[in-house]
Amino acid sequence: MSALLEVQGLTRRFGGLTAVSDVSFAVSEGEIFGVIGPNGAGKTTLFNVIAGHYKPSAGTATFSGRGISGLRSDVIARLGIARTFQAVHLFAAETVAENLRRARVLSTSHGPFAYLRSFGTGRREPDLRDVATFVGLGPLLDQTAGGLAYGLQKMLGIGMALMVTPKLLLMDEPAAGLNPSEKRAASALIRRLRDERGISILLVEHDMPLVMGVCDRILVVNQGKPIAIGSPDAVKADPAVIDAYLGDDYEFA
Amino acid sequence: MKRLILLAAIVILAVLPWLANNRYVFHIATMIAIMAPLALSMNLMLRIGQLSMAHSAFMGIGAYASALLTMRLGLPPLASLLCGGVLAALTALVLGPVFLRIKGVYFVLLTYAFGQIVNLVFQEWTSLFGGNSGLYGIPKFSLAGYRLTAVSQYYVLALLFTAIAYWMVRAIERSDIGAILQSLNEDEMLSRSIGADALSWRIAVFTFSAAIAGISGGIYAFYIGFLSPQAFGFQLSVDLVVMNVIGGTSAALGPLLGAIVVVPLPELLREAKQYQLLIYGLCLMVFLIFIKQGLVSLIDRPRRKPA
Amino acid sequence: MIEQMIVNGLLAGFIYIIMALGFTLIFGIMRIVNFAHGEFYMAGAVVVLFLFGALGWNFFLAVVMAGFLAAALGIVIERVLFRPLVGNELPGMIMSLAVGITLQSIALILFGPSEQSIERPFSGTWQLVNAVVPWDRTVVAIAALVILAAFYLFLKYSRLGLAMQAVAQDRETASLMGVESGLIYASAFGIACALARLAGGLMAPIYTIGPYMGELPMLKAFVVVILGGLGSVPGAVLGGLLIGLSESVLSTLFSSTTALIASFTIVLLIVVMRPTGLMGRGAP
Repeated sequence: MSALLEVQGLTRRFGGLTAVSDVSFAVSEGEIFGVIGPNGAGKTTLFNVIAGHYKPSAGTATFSGRGISGLRSDVIARLGIARTFQAVHLFAAETVAENLRRARVLSTSHGPFAYLRSFGTGRREPDLRDVATFVGLGPLLDQTAGGLAYGLQKMLGIGMALMVTPKLLLMDEPAAGLNPSEKRAASALIRRLRDERGISILLVEHDMPLVMGVCDRILVVNQGKPIAIGSPDAVKADPAVIDAYLGDDYEFA
Repeated sequence: MKRLILLAAIVILAVLPWLANNRYVFHIATMIAIMAPLALSMNLMLRIGQLSMAHSAFMGIGAYASALLTMRLGLPPLASLLCGGVLAALTALVLGPVFLRIKGVYFVLLTYAFGQIVNLVFQEWTSLFGGNSGLYGIPKFSLAGYRLTAVSQYYVLALLFTAIAYWMVRAIERSDIGAILQSLNEDEMLSRSIGADALSWRIAVFTFSAAIAGISGGIYAFYIGFLSPQAFGFQLSVDLVVMNVIGGTSAALGPLLGAIVVVPLPELLREAKQYQLLIYGLCLMVFLIFIKQGLVSLIDRPRRKPA
Repeated sequence: MIEQMIVNGLLAGFIYIIMALGFTLIFGIMRIVNFAHGEFYMAGAVVVLFLFGALGWNFFLAVVMAGFLAAALGIVIERVLFRPLVGNELPGMIMSLAVGITLQSIALILFGPSEQSIERPFSGTWQLVNAVVPWDRTVVAIAALVILAAFYLFLKYSRLGLAMQAVAQDRETASLMGVESGLIYASAFGIACALARLAGGLMAPIYTIGPYMGELPMLKAFVVVILGGLGSVPGAVLGGLLIGLSESVLSTLFSSTTALIASFTIVLLIVVMRPTGLMGRGAP
């Protein structure tokens, strides 16, 4: 297994506050990698730095051997890193099909010049129905996205990210706000993304059972600093991790 | 169907001046046809969520460039006209990467300051632009030896450009570019995370809309035959916004309707400018609060595009 | 000459500060760029023209009355016209254009386009080091300082002032803590209008009064506020003084148009390089 994403000493400061401090890890090809930590541990900031929404204060991120730290989010997306959001982001007034179609248009025609060049070639890949079926929205193509149940809206978010045909998918709390049965479906979908589509996954999540259930390896951060990394079982047994979570209501499954 | 009736109405309106065959009616119609593309260019900016106060300056750049290139360098009017558009577009292309990083209020302020500077330059650089007393003696527009002298001929020229501008904006609206711009405006973070280069798209729109404004300015210069900096001030940008608010911004038809309704006002109320302003102000208030989507929403309910 | 330039610059700067304060207050609290601010200034001068010039009221009483009327009008305008658009930057701005246009047209209908002037309540000059200082300007500067001090005390010590600062800093948190934003919006708008009208009223005897008199002060307020940082009160003070002084120097050495071009160029550079202005905080 070679490293698809490699993060070295990544640090992000906001004024005097260090939200992410010297975090290093590597996600291998075909791996489902989880990042967990108590509230305010800096998980989402770490995520946003990798996805290009913030510039790192120090450190580097490398994707397929290419440095990506400091690149704009759309450039990073073009390299093959898609992301989903913690909150629902979609074009609420449009249908499911139109949302997916727009995602395809946006990803193929990055800017005006690329659009003009691609004009006429009319890329029709990936197929809307195929992706919709994959995330469980096959029968709902003509529904208005804003009217879908919350869980389905999050699935649509994953579907839109898939229109980028990513090699790596960054998922920001995919289970947040889902009910137990939706969570089970989400876990299954995450595994299928890897098994059927060969997409590596970097996952930030609060839901312990889900993380422990789907991830190959887990990085635990606390107050911006990495405190443990390893398999779910190893992490669960790590005294530093147990310490960090003491007093919180988390329960390890 | 409604759209068809509306289009028929606009066509009838467009030929009306010939039926009236009155110089004054032709003049108003020509002014509408000059302002309509400008309103369309402002519409494009509003579609990317940016209110530009620089468009009066782009029109001014196009107008002065067309006039001066013909007067000083003896360029054929059509070439000057196109150069004026290109010059306005180039200005936007240079400013865009800097200006369009900035959004909302700050963009308005930035373009406002830019518009003021351009206007002050028109006023101060007397030897080139004629200053506040104006630039006189702009030759008539001519094409292949055919000189446009009558108002009705300028009306045709302006109408032709309005049709082209309208057609182009409609084409953008219907194509994937329309979907891209709408996506960027609705949820930029999402659009960028999927790979859309937001800044480049905005620069493209800014540049294109400046070109339209510049060419309209050129047509205005040849038609009026005299340029004064006051014609390209803050008030013009405001007028373009007013046309969009009253006509509606959601479709290309909106600014067109806006121009048809708003442009004749100062002409009709020439004797009582103060009432014109009052009507402007009150209309704006009513539309902003009660008819947010503009006239076009009263005629044409927005429909969902099939996937 | 240098002394004269400094004195002229400071005298102009004080009025810019008063104009800019209201402008920045509305932006800080409501996120609206109030293009009607110059028209409020004009309205203030018109009220003074009427009360002092025509009815023969005491000058200061007329100015204060103009301020009170403005506050009342401002509250009504905010409630009826701006409240439905809160949180919507673009429509808010267009609404302010509409308010400006309407006020201007009302002035045009009442007075016509001609400019009027009123008799100066103060005349003569006095000598400060090597500079000649007109008395009327001195009175304006003192009044401006008094208004500035009162505004500062209001923000610093009154409950309403503190609540306004809270809303300007973080709307959501302020509303969570029980600050009633509707009241804040209305009073901020009222105070801003009053400030503009006080400035207009004070300046009434110095310049001629007409429907378009607000445009230049509005431009200045705008430049000052961008320079100092939109929404920042100390920024408005600093910006007002800087613009007043630089204009005084540039217009003495070159021309007033040069000064204007220079100030707009400064605005351009500032917005591009540091959109939050000299004293502003946070990213836009």
